[in-house]
Amino acid sequence: MNSLVLLVALPLLAAFLQPIVSRISEGLGRWFGPVILVITAGIGLQAWGHIGAAVALNIGGFRAPFGIVFYVDHLALLFALAVSIGALLLWPRGQRPDAVREYTLTLVLVAAASGLAIFGDLFNLYVFYELASVASFGLVAAQRSGASFAASIRYAIISSIGAVLAFIGVALVYLQAGTLNLAQLAQLSEGRLDGPLGLAAFVFLLIGFGVKAELFPINTWVPEAYATASKRVAGLLAGVISKLALLIVVRLLVLVYDQQAAQLIMLSLGIAGIVTGELAAWRARDLTRMLAYSSIGQLGMIFVAFSIPGKAGVLAGLAVALHHLVVKPALFLLAEQWGGSLARLRGVGKTSPFAAVLFTILALSLIGVPPLPGFWAKLLVMIHLMNQGNALYQVGMVAIMFAAVLETSYLFRLIVTFYGPRPETPAVAPHHFLDLGAASVLSAALLAAAVYMGPLERSLDGIAGAATDTVAYISTVGPRARPSME
Amino acid sequence: MSGLELTPIVCAGALGLVVIGLFGMVISPHLIRIILSLAVLEGGANLFMIMVGYQPDAVAPIIVNGVIPAAMVDPVPQALVLTAIVIGVGVQAFAITLTMRLRRAYGTQDVREIRRRMEQDISRAAGVTATPGSKDEPEFPHPRNAAVRMGRG
Amino acid sequence: MRKATSLLFLIGLAFLLTVIAAQIDFGHAPLIVGKGINAAAPTKVGSANIVAAVVLAYRGIDTLGELAILFTAAIAGGMVLGLRNADAAPDPEAGFILRTAADLLFPVLLVVGLFIVFHGHLTPGGGFQGGVVLAAAFFLPLLAHPGSTMNHPVLGLVEGLAGGAFIVIGLFGLLDQGEFLRPLLDKGALGTLWSAGTLPLLYLAVGLKVGSELASLLAHISEYEVLD
Repeated sequence: MNSLVLLVALPLLAAFLQPIVSRISEGLGRWFGPVILVITAGIGLQAWGHIGAAVALNIGGFRAPFGIVFYVDHLALLFALAVSIGALLLWPRGQRPDAVREYTLTLVLVAAASGLAIFGDLFNLYVFYELASVASFGLVAAQRSGASFAASIRYAIISSIGAVLAFIGVALVYLQAGTLNLAQLAQLSEGRLDGPLGLAAFVFLLIGFGVKAELFPINTWVPEAYATASKRVAGLLAGVISKLALLIVVRLLVLVYDQQAAQLIMLSLGIAGIVTGELAAWRARDLTRMLAYSSIGQLGMIFVAFSIPGKAGVLAGLAVALHHLVVKPALFLLAEQWGGSLARLRGVGKTSPFAAVLFTILALSLIGVPPLPGFWAKLLVMIHLMNQGNALYQVGMVAIMFAAVLETSYLFRLIVTFYGPRPETPAVAPHHFLDLGAASVLSAALLAAAVYMGPLERSLDGIAGAATDTVAYISTVGPRARPSME
Repeated sequence: MSGLELTPIVCAGALGLVVIGLFGMVISPHLIRIILSLAVLEGGANLFMIMVGYQPDAVAPIIVNGVIPAAMVDPVPQALVLTAIVIGVGVQAFAITLTMRLRRAYGTQDVREIRRRMEQDISRAAGVTATPGSKDEPEFPHPRNAAVRMGRG
Repeated sequence: MRKATSLLFLIGLAFLLTVIAAQIDFGHAPLIVGKGINAAAPTKVGSANIVAAVVLAYRGIDTLGELAILFTAAIAGGMVLGLRNADAAPDPEAGFILRTAADLLFPVLLVVGLFIVFHGHLTPGGGFQGGVVLAAAFFLPLLAHPGSTMNHPVLGLVEGLAGGAFIVIGLFGLLDQGEFLRPLLDKGALGTLWSAGTLPLLYLAVGLKVGSELASLLAHISEYEVLD
């Protein structure tokens, strides 16, 4: 199973070699990336049945906690697969101003995101997070318009502040616990990390890693970055990468910071994100920024879900996260041609009927209309929120219901304009078949999930259970709290 | 002065650099000064991390002439800082290239002006001319009544 | 308004940091990992510089990520800057001092840089530090003779192959011993140049990659024409 390191090493090697390959032959360079992604996805799929409950990889052969450990359970593998498959569906297409560099940056992003999915060491997490950040800055700036450069530098500034704070957080954790290995931190957290210093470290880590997860209030970069980047990049960042940033916060929460104070902090920030995001989406007048603000609102809801303690929280959050992972990139793919003023989309139901139907299905699932998966995910969150004792969770319920009303309003408003009177000259062009094809694949997955809801929920339940089993995590990685000769 | 007496001073220095850097990044409107403040901020954080590894009466973790010292400081924070410094250099270099490019695209390095121009460009590209919420919002088609009643559920 | 909230946030953060600082007990951190590494590294890894052992052996994949970050920043920076406008005005001539000093300094910087890279496992230094010196060595002639161009294709080739070499050495560990980035080769005698197995090779790859990368990025920045 040590070949699972290739999930990270292979895309990275490909990224290093991409410029050379493209110089040798341009045609080869264009297909090099997608082939590598297919192989990477294949490695992940092949491992699905073979890892048992979970596998810990000791990088370099050095045992935890002295060396770095990659932890691969089904949750991690699920997201690693989402990264490679998502990048494949959202691979840059068409005439790009600097295609080779964009391919390189995308491959780096895939490698970094895979590293985030299977992380087991706190500082290794920081390094891969920074790698994903720098790749994202580059991908946003790849549009080479003045606005995209401005959005990229603003994103970089906010992300760097967060990164330094996360670094100080790592320093604080190391100061108190003496180790960076997640399993050992889970063992030592009681007594060493539950004081005010430990909580301060958590806050710093949350701010640092929350930038990519569009956490309130460090998400001001989101609307401008998604509006100025190419829609495929926006789909990749909003759909896939944000979920990975969330995954790492969740692992920290479940394993190391299983404390009520930490959960309540996440809950409050999540509620703030829901309210601000959905309100801004309701007021937006162009499609891309509406989608961007809507993703802030949805991610706020996922934060609220993950702040519910225990397996219930992880299950509810996982359901909403996977739903958003499928829906958001599809919406951004459709926004490739439909991006722009919402008024332009009048009558599009007649000029591009298939795309309009896809958009309607995706939007209905986002609102939470049964029997689409979005309904079940939201229902799961609401049920578990209701069962919590602390009143703040009920405030979260109210926020989600408020958000649902707003979502219905602005999404239905949009769908109605689709089927409104068609203008004499169509204001929007039809979609490219690759965009439409990828969006169809994602929508088909959504509908398949609606049909196979029962078995899907059972397997998600199993994954969530395995993820919250801290004892199993510690025994799989196997560190010894007492220092010994390595 | 023994090492342990110096630590409050160094700690104050490190965290002071962090605060100064943060202050500079938030207050200053000039891009180059923001990047310099970032460098100061990262310097302070790196210094803080190195202090975490400090052990009193210990030497650097390097074996000279085959003699293994009795007590050595923690080598891990030093390795972490090495990595962090390089990461910082990479981000700062990229930020500088963006600054140069923005100077050509927008003719300024003032973040406030850059933000204004960026918002303008985004709105223009989207075909949305007025700011949201202003009086001259374009007319939105009236939703059919049935849709309204169905939507507000 | 935004400035006021930012200031408030900063004051709160400064207060938080002072509270943290007051509570910290430096010098008594629980050395769970550090002590074990200090004890085991000389024999297990064979390098006299224990920090190098941490950087390349115990935490080798962090170093790989760090290399990748520098690579990504250089790629993104090159993409942002684009190519020099062919008919832009030529840069002004460099002065006499710079031209002479550059010619004198080039071999010195080259030797110092390579020394630091090769001795990374024995003394403080290593691939990154030496690589920066090497980049300066190759960039200085560009400053001294504006109008001469850097050979970017060759730099790109060195950069890609060096980075690939780092991963390939790691993959050898995977194929040979079953662990990615496991140190291979004979450990040699502690404190000599040929010791610590694959560590000097890894540092060499790092040094070449960083050197070519930074030289290329600096050249791009310098070649970008001045507007006024």
